Amino acid sequence: MLKIRAIKLEVNTTSGLFGAEYEFTNGLNIIRGDNSTGKSSLFQSILYGLGFEELLGGKNEKTMQSALKDQVEFPDGKLHPINQSFVYLEIENKEIITIKRSITSETRKAQLVDVFSGALITSKNEMLPSRPMYIHDKGGASDNIYGFHVFLSEFLSWNLPEVITTKGETSHLYLQQIAPAFIVEQKTGWSDFFATLPYYAMRNTESLVVEFLLSMDVFENEKRKQQVTSAKQQLISKWQNLFISFNRLAEKSGGTLRGLDQNIGIINSFNNIYIAIIKDEKELTISDFNEQQKEELIQLEKQQTTTVGNNITKNEDALKKLNDKLNQLSLNYEMLSPELNYDSEKLKQYGRQLEAVKEDLRKNKGALKVKSLGFELPAETASDSCPTCHQPIKDSLLPSEIKQTPMRIEDNVSFLEAQQKMIEVYVEGQERIIKEKENKLATYLAQLSETRQEIRDTKKELVQDERLPSVLEIEKRLNLKKRVEFFSKLLEDFAQLLEELKGLSKELEGILSREKNLPRDFFSSQDRKKISSLQENFIEMLKKFNYQSKPFEAIKISNESYLPVAQKMIGEQLFYNIKFDSSASDFIRCLWSYYTAIFKTSVTYQTNHPMLLIFDEPKQQDMAIGNFKSFLTELSQFKDQQVLVFASFENSDASFLEATKGLNFTLNRIEDKLIKPIALTSKV
Amino acid sequence: MEDLLIKKLSFTKRPIPLPAEYRPMYKIALIVIILKYCCRAETSNLLKLHLFSWALASERNMNELRDYVTSNFKSDFSVWGIEPALNRALQLSVAENICEIVHGKNYKLTEKGNKFFEMIKADPQLFNIEKSFLTFIGKNQITDNRITAMTQKWNLFYVENQSN
Repeated sequence: MLKIRAIKLEVNTTSGLFGAEYEFTNGLNIIRGDNSTGKSSLFQSILYGLGFEELLGGKNEKTMQSALKDQVEFPDGKLHPINQSFVYLEIENKEIITIKRSITSETRKAQLVDVFSGALITSKNEMLPSRPMYIHDKGGASDNIYGFHVFLSEFLSWNLPEVITTKGETSHLYLQQIAPAFIVEQKTGWSDFFATLPYYAMRNTESLVVEFLLSMDVFENEKRKQQVTSAKQQLISKWQNLFISFNRLAEKSGGTLRGLDQNIGIINSFNNIYIAIIKDEKELTISDFNEQQKEELIQLEKQQTTTVGNNITKNEDALKKLNDKLNQLSLNYEMLSPELNYDSEKLKQYGRQLEAVKEDLRKNKGALKVKSLGFELPAETASDSCPTCHQPIKDSLLPSEIKQTPMRIEDNVSFLEAQQKMIEVYVEGQERIIKEKENKLATYLAQLSETRQEIRDTKKELVQDERLPSVLEIEKRLNLKKRVEFFSKLLEDFAQLLEELKGLSKELEGILSREKNLPRDFFSSQDRKKISSLQENFIEMLKKFNYQSKPFEAIKISNESYLPVAQKMIGEQLFYNIKFDSSASDFIRCLWSYYTAIFKTSVTYQTNHPMLLIFDEPKQQDMAIGNFKSFLTELSQFKDQQVLVFASFENSDASFLEATKGLNFTLNRIEDKLIKPIALTSKV
Repeated sequence: MEDLLIKKLSFTKRPIPLPAEYRPMYKIALIVIILKYCCRAETSNLLKLHLFSWALASERNMNELRDYVTSNFKSDFSVWGIEPALNRALQLSVAENICEIVHGKNYKLTEKGNKFFEMIKADPQLFNIEKSFLTFIGKNQITDNRITAMTQKWNLFYVENQSN
């Protein structure tokens, strides 16, 4: 637990030393002080000593009040400028430490604290060893040696959970984010649940804080889920890369890849994955194709090399056929290339359409978000009702004479998303068509030049000496041999990629079954007990504090945000923030009950909760003194934990006596002013 | 032929899709960020609001205005659109007490408007393009005098066109 043992303020003014010192015990401590005596200064000094001043809405000394920073007023009307001021805070978990931090100092920055290993205030032992540490400075929260908050979380034996920030990086939950669940500040703290929570680009911080304070297992489960997801992501990117390698190989061979999907999936039969090559208008697998070539080569090698003379008739026939082939090929080529141009142009058009739809979608999503923000603001327009006459209006800025009904934004968004998907399908299809046509065109081109070469060679041979051996045949044999080699190498590479693919497919099986084994519902049975205990405690306290805005059956603790939610009508499905239907004073009762319920549940279940509650002026909204008494009674039951309540009791002894009658508590009274002169003699 | 004789036709009216610019809250939010990012004292006249609202409508418009500012107001910038939808959104935002009318002609962001702005600002994804554009332009580029100068040019155009 985090126990605040004592606090001491030391203020050197031009008129001498001023200060204050208070000690706190286990159980309920009431710090009573009339308005403007410095009650809040004392509360703020505790936060400041812990480095939690971000709850006051800022960092370092500027969050502190002028009585500790600029000038002391004592007695009323007489001002003493401050030269130097320090806060000492003595706290205890398993051991006792004292924190010293400057507010105003010529030589020491407010980011610097000294941590003394012992009770500096209560034992008056000034010879304690100390270590300097930093708060808030860059790295201050992560540097092992000098980061005060790292030290403080170790001191509290807190293993702060890692969370994913909105930028996708991992980061630890910060102590200042957890503090609003057990320290409630006066000015904004009573306006909402966790109202003073500083923003650190993390999502759902409130629920993370509750999960942490109640030591819930859901945290672990969420983390496992994230691990599986990220493993899957990595696998997907490997798969994509492999897919690209396969395609490159196919391109190199002049064929097309068949049987492999770009999207990841488990593959059972690898025989269906092959590179298809077109030969004589028929599709062959690359290995069949190579077998044919090998066969051809063997046939050629068997034949004796013939002379030119023997080949004349054969060559003349061949030349005629070759010329026909050349004509056919050129025709094909010329027909295909304008088609390709047309297709590319179409693709560009689709691209432009896609851009426009995406922009439209972005704006519509913005509109949706803004509408929900407007709902919270609250702006009546967001509920489709006229702010002046409260009549229903259409969600549109078109002139009201236009009798068209606009789609709801939600529908509009899904309409655009459907459009985007459709265009993306078009684009994908178009890209595939273009790819295929380009391949075909490249094949035509290669065949064209090959045929021309053959024609030239045949013609050359026809005019050569008839006794020479046929060069044409020798060349053909050599070419064939080279091609067989090339394709054999290609097949080897292909087999290797296939092996890799098998590995990935197997890995995917593993990940998918891990994913299946994740608990569908991340709560453990212990978690469920904690949530229902939180809910029971919360509602029980609402009853005690005389909450009346809603029937208690309509109230529960949300399983997502862990905040209290309520139904508009009993039996309705929709739950929403309890704030909306609670009167102002009833909402204060909600806040009292909620923070105390978390505390109570934590006491029962031995969780990470620091077992400390600090409330600054909880009696808000002219709360009836009787209800306040019920609240204090509830708090006074935590005898082994610590509760600090700062309150003014309407500056009245009668109110104080009525609210605390019969209660067990320790009183700290701030008389006239918090910061008073300290006689130097008493210190020696 | 008989097959083609239609005996009865019925129509069902369906909701139509609407560009986000015509959604009241969207436009109000734009007004809020324009006033906050680009207007001194969070106050603006009507024409200036129209100018920015027009600019935010498309990437092309934004580029045109950006070029105009970066060229130190030398590039050719002729006219911008005036849309009734913005006027309606302004009426709504005045009724919502998000803006108030000061000196009878200028619109000024209220405390509630500022709160709305903080809510919009808290979401880094929301209006990211619009926010960065408006921050780029800033409070000091398009002043009231600038608007007046721009509209005067407008008049000249008009005169020239008439004389032609």
